[in-house]
Amino acid sequence: MARFLARRLIHAVFVVWGVVTVVFFILRLTGDPAAFLVDQTATREEIAHARHLLGLDRPLYAQYLDFITSVPRGDFGLSIQQRRPALPIVLEHLWPATAELALAAIVLATVLAIPLGVVAATHRNGALDHLSRLGSLFLQSMPSFWLGLMLILVFAVALGGLLPAFGSGSLRHLILPALTLAAAPLAQNVRLIRSGLLEVLQQDYVRTARAKGLAERGVVYRHALRNAAGPFLTVTGLSLGFMLSGTLVIETVFSWPGLGRLMVQAVPGRDFPVIQAAVVVFAVLFVAVNLIVDVVHGLVDPRARVA
Amino acid sequence: MAPWLVLLVTAVLVLLTPPGAAAQASTVDGVTIDPDAELVVALADDTNNMDPRIGMGSIRSNYIRQVFESLVDVDHAGKPVPGLALAWKPVNDLTWEFTLRRGVTFHDGEPFNADTVLFNLDRFFRRNLDKHGVKDVAAGTSFEKVYPFVTRWEKVDDHTVRIHTSEPAANLWDFIGREPLVPRAWTVKNGVEALNERPVGTGPWKLVEWKRKNHMLFERNERYWGAPPRMKRLRFVIIPEAAARIAALRAGQVGLIEAVPPLDAGVLEREPTLRVVSSVQKLACRIYLNGRTKEAYESGGRDGAFADPKVRLALNLAVNREAIVQKIFHGLAIVNASPVATVAYGYAAQEAYPFDPARARALLAEATGKDGPPSLDLLFPTKHYGQAFDETVPAVVEMLKDVGVPVNVKALDFGTLLQTLTKGTLPPNGGFAACRTSNNLDADDFVRDWATTTLVNWTPYPPELMTLYQGTRRQVDPKKRLALLADLQRRVRDWAPVVSLYQEVKAYAHSTRVLRFTPTQELNMDFRGVALKK
Repeated sequence: MARFLARRLIHAVFVVWGVVTVVFFILRLTGDPAAFLVDQTATREEIAHARHLLGLDRPLYAQYLDFITSVPRGDFGLSIQQRRPALPIVLEHLWPATAELALAAIVLATVLAIPLGVVAATHRNGALDHLSRLGSLFLQSMPSFWLGLMLILVFAVALGGLLPAFGSGSLRHLILPALTLAAAPLAQNVRLIRSGLLEVLQQDYVRTARAKGLAERGVVYRHALRNAAGPFLTVTGLSLGFMLSGTLVIETVFSWPGLGRLMVQAVPGRDFPVIQAAVVVFAVLFVAVNLIVDVVHGLVDPRARVA
Repeated sequence: MAPWLVLLVTAVLVLLTPPGAAAQASTVDGVTIDPDAELVVALADDTNNMDPRIGMGSIRSNYIRQVFESLVDVDHAGKPVPGLALAWKPVNDLTWEFTLRRGVTFHDGEPFNADTVLFNLDRFFRRNLDKHGVKDVAAGTSFEKVYPFVTRWEKVDDHTVRIHTSEPAANLWDFIGREPLVPRAWTVKNGVEALNERPVGTGPWKLVEWKRKNHMLFERNERYWGAPPRMKRLRFVIIPEAAARIAALRAGQVGLIEAVPPLDAGVLEREPTLRVVSSVQKLACRIYLNGRTKEAYESGGRDGAFADPKVRLALNLAVNREAIVQKIFHGLAIVNASPVATVAYGYAAQEAYPFDPARARALLAEATGKDGPPSLDLLFPTKHYGQAFDETVPAVVEMLKDVGVPVNVKALDFGTLLQTLTKGTLPPNGGFAACRTSNNLDADDFVRDWATTTLVNWTPYPPELMTLYQGTRRQVDPKKRLALLADLQRRVRDWAPVVSLYQEVKAYAHSTRVLRFTPTQELNMDFRGVALKK
């Protein structure tokens, strides 16, 4: 297990370094942040002066060396737009806002998916199964910005302000954005659990359990579901990436003050330090969650450790 | 009580009443108001900085001007009025004098006086920063480069400042006077970084809480030199999506929203609990064309294809602006053939470019002969200036094609456009769609567009127009200067450096509980005088 973990950790370091390096160079192909700092009537000299103040007139390799040696210390430089250290800006948007939203959505997408997937599998080709299929299709097909706006119109406007239309800070504020963010992964999870369960329910040991006289509920939840959980676990880990990218849209629609909205504003403004810090945080989170999933998967199924 | 005693007591009470308290009437327009209320305003974006030196763009200005004030204020009709200066005048061709308002203090109690102004001038022009012990910042406008003719400034007395120039500077009252002023002692003590966190100004609102990208909370400045605000708190919340802003207004979560899309404005107007108001803005949207000579950009040895004014005039005649205003903006835009915004000081109305495709074709044929009109590679920044702009540009492209100009549209993000303009790599037959606005009041901020090589100047003034432009800057006599500005605008209209599209009218919607909200023609909203029904 220790070797398995060490191997995974080394992979993780390389992945994060690769992401950081690619982002550093790609960003510099996309434009010059100095042009955003000056008026549109600025002359070339004024832009050059702004570039100098930002240190962007130095050779690219020197900028990269500075950057890559500063990253381990958590120093990503000053935000070009806000003139404050970039990492604290990213972290204050990640915690609690984005973390709260992503966790709530993952919990919703997991907790709701299990009973719904089980019902769909145990009522195969019945009315409930068809309903579940239609619901999943709907939730996966709807663009999240549209779904978010519809939820706002229904719960904040039509129902007389039952839930707030925007903002953060309370459980009431969390409900609509979390539901919107959870919609597509929930649908995916329901279908995964259904198909996994259908396969497992055909296995001999399930027939044996039934033959022993176990209640159907026990058969499904204690025996079949645990064995059908492998792909579901893996996808839940991967869905964190979806959640984090999904926050870009959801946080904008609901004015949620998280990392997604920060990115939406930092990218067009070419705020290199903030984008770099946010991408590193995203990458570390994504790698960490997948590492945890690998470990859990390895614990549940020893064959996975070898793979 | 004897009548004389009543009069005496009344007089004493009046004298003891703090300035502005008389304006704290409990009714407005016969309606009882709530002086302890909080108005929540939904805005599309947050400011990145509160230090005015860093920049005063269209978003930032709205936040900064609630806290900070400038020497020259502006009324709702866009006219310059006394702000922190009671008066300003040229004392000779090379000197301007500002008489400062007395009894003004910053939110922390620091007095506003001539030393404040000198300190701010030092910051504008990057002088004596070491002496003050404050850092330089990457500023939106480099005063020392844009206005190199401003040579020195001096304190005449505690409430009089003189600014000297090496050549006459007719619009100095504007480019100095409209800059927000920060406190001297507070900035020296706390550093320029603190100006970006929780700054203190002289404005009607004190900043009490700023959660970035979420909200900014202001409280009434009880010691404001003018009439203090009629509500206790003002909260700016950030709701980027227009549809979500409208939903929040309808749900009663916010009292006022900005930037209502033209299509929604008509719908909201019909709702009995809401009111839609609008004001003409300085935002002028245009198509800029490459008319630079080959030395002035990364040309590959070719002059810009749109150097001939006849070609540019022809393109202007090909655009049906009335249709754009009616069909896309539903009336929330205006047509303006002057290079100066209609609400700027010195604007002179110009004859609109008629929509005349036949004449456009004839002019193109006359100018280009058998070669035919040049094709136009148009850079189109999307999702930056609003949905109506994104609809307008494709419509204009079709109009240009109708008169025989082949147009290749390249949609890109605003940053990529800026990069092209910064590098000077617009193709010889290139152009770009963009809008420009102004934080100043004077026409100069618009007509200087073609004077020096800048991001937006791709058709520099020919010598005769340059001479005329320089004349407008040096003519200090207001009447003569207005005449020169009018002449310049007429000539620029005929010379047609850009294809003018429209000037924006900005719409706001608010609940009927909000009283006396009048949108300004500036980049900021003004909440002085606004009240909330009890």
